[in-house]
Amino acid sequence: MATPLARGSMDHEPGIVSPFKRVFLKGEKGRDKKAQEKATERRALHTFSLSQPDHRIDPDILLNDYIEKEVKYLGQLSSVPGYLNPSSRTEVLQLVDNARSHQLAGQLTSEQDAVVSLSAYNIKLVWRDGEDIILRVPIHDIAAVSYIRDDSLHLVVIKTAQESGGSPCPSSCPDLNKSQTLSSLSEGGAVLVEVCCLLVLAVDNKAAAEELCLLLSQVFQIVYTESTIDFLDRAIFDGATTPTRHLSLYSDDSSSKVDVKEAFEEEASAFPFQASMEAEGNSPSASTPASPQAKTASDGDLSTTAAELLQDYMTTLRTKLSSQEIQQFATLLHEYRNGASIHEFCINLRQLYGDSRKFLLLGLRPFIPEKDSQHFENFLETIGVKDGRGIITDSFGRYRRTASSASDSTANGNGAAGGSGASDEGQEAPEGDEWDRMITDIGNDIEALGCSMDQEGATP
Amino acid sequence: MTMDDMKNEADAASIVSMALYTVMYPVFNQLEKVNLSAAQTLRAAIIKAEKENPGLTQDIVMKILEKKNVKIDYHESLLRMAADDVEEFTIDRREPEFQELNERARALKHILSTIPDEIYDRAGFLQSIKDIASAIKELLDMVNTVFRKYQYQNKRALEQQKKEFVKYSKSFSVTLKTYFRDGKVMNVFVSANRLTHQTNMILQAFKTVV
Repeated sequence: MATPLARGSMDHEPGIVSPFKRVFLKGEKGRDKKAQEKATERRALHTFSLSQPDHRIDPDILLNDYIEKEVKYLGQLSSVPGYLNPSSRTEVLQLVDNARSHQLAGQLTSEQDAVVSLSAYNIKLVWRDGEDIILRVPIHDIAAVSYIRDDSLHLVVIKTAQESGGSPCPSSCPDLNKSQTLSSLSEGGAVLVEVCCLLVLAVDNKAAAEELCLLLSQVFQIVYTESTIDFLDRAIFDGATTPTRHLSLYSDDSSSKVDVKEAFEEEASAFPFQASMEAEGNSPSASTPASPQAKTASDGDLSTTAAELLQDYMTTLRTKLSSQEIQQFATLLHEYRNGASIHEFCINLRQLYGDSRKFLLLGLRPFIPEKDSQHFENFLETIGVKDGRGIITDSFGRYRRTASSASDSTANGNGAAGGSGASDEGQEAPEGDEWDRMITDIGNDIEALGCSMDQEGATP
Repeated sequence: MTMDDMKNEADAASIVSMALYTVMYPVFNQLEKVNLSAAQTLRAAIIKAEKENPGLTQDIVMKILEKKNVKIDYHESLLRMAADDVEEFTIDRREPEFQELNERARALKHILSTIPDEIYDRAGFLQSIKDIASAIKELLDMVNTVFRKYQYQNKRALEQQKKEFVKYSKSFSVTLKTYFRDGKVMNVFVSANRLTHQTNMILQAFKTVV
């Protein structure tokens, strides 16, 4: 910069140049020339034209590309109190001034020249010469961006987490308040983070500082917007599914996922009462000579057994039916329990299972109330899955004999139960009947299902 | 007017019938204070006409606005009015779950109706979207609760209505993503109106089936 004396001399006597000025100017020219040479050696920045006056950039550039700006990197202050208000010029400058002597660069020279690369994912600082990376800060680690003008110095101060991955924000604040522009973020005064970092940059002028701040603001908006839409999508998804602690069986339509397991659990909770009620109605205090198990069986044991039976049946269904079919089964079961006729229930189930899986109806025996059991048994006969008829029984002789034993004997039970004849069959028969029927059917069903699976495995 | 009439009128796939219950019902309510008989006759006539010609009410309203040279945006105005309660969509059952269902539906419609005021401020609008998300989740949670707790004659109809609601919620989300790229607010208003309509259909379904 020419001195007034030099300027005045030049004005009045253009032919004479002060020797001091000559030396001064020569030095200046030398330095300028060097800087100019350096500038020409440096690569061009990856930049885009921004719409004025708000420096808007196409969001796709921030999402799928990046933009570079020249800055001077003064340094990074660590262990800064987390309660620092980035919008307070006084507070920030106090820290910066204290740090200028040891942590931050004092004089601004070309040695501090750096490039900030900005995208929706992070800001990256590299040295202008050599491109060595200085630091990288993920966007979620940035709490605030401030522009402070200190005389001729235009500082851009970025408040970040102390360490990468940590949050510079109080944990109570959502990671959503990053859409502010030049002013800092105020998180309602709640401060749960002890320390943070301040990244101190300098730019050439106010316009450059505002541009950088507005670019970062747009990045925050993009991130905030994306996370908000994600939040909306998650809320819709969570609401569309029925909450459960267990694995759900999903339908093909992902917009509405029904937890069939839950429907089953509701049914299972009711069946033990049904089984225990039937046992109580048949004189629970009477001994049951049909089998040792029945003699010691309590209502609770029968309830447990019924629940276990249902669980076993459900397990079998899952291996045999598709998720949609299981939903249909749950619907039919629910309708039956809510008043639909046994006839309708049987017909619908037969239709659901089809010919190849009609044996699954056998497994429902323990769960059919006494009042409907006759109709159910008759129905099984008509479709050929009882007493030796049907695909299952034809190939498994033992089933035929066992079934015959169960149907012929009311109190003696079967071989599996190991029971002996009772002295008071008339009085104790109904309860013994129930227990024997369940035990017999469990065994038959397991054998029948195992046989069918063998058959399925054998056929191509 | 029976629920079946409403069910036919309010086509779940279209929001043209919103003009009937959002715009005209409040008009009828006010007219009833002036001339009860005439207002009821007019109500019945327009309901019947809308039933036979879905969208007729909307056409009438648009024509009136045109004739009066009223320069308003129809979809924006409809959305602003959508927060008002419609008696025909309010579930009468007194059990807490149904009353909570009413409340959550009302809350969602109210937040949706504020979109025209919030959409031009990005930060405020994003906060509204968060509130809408929470309201949608809470409404669906209550729907699921009622599914589990109560018996109903036609579960399939209720599930289908829930599916429709979820579908239009997703559509609303997609519309928002597009809006943040192209800035066209009209699409957001239309999508929000559709979601409001589906909210009313949820209430109607539970009112008639359960």
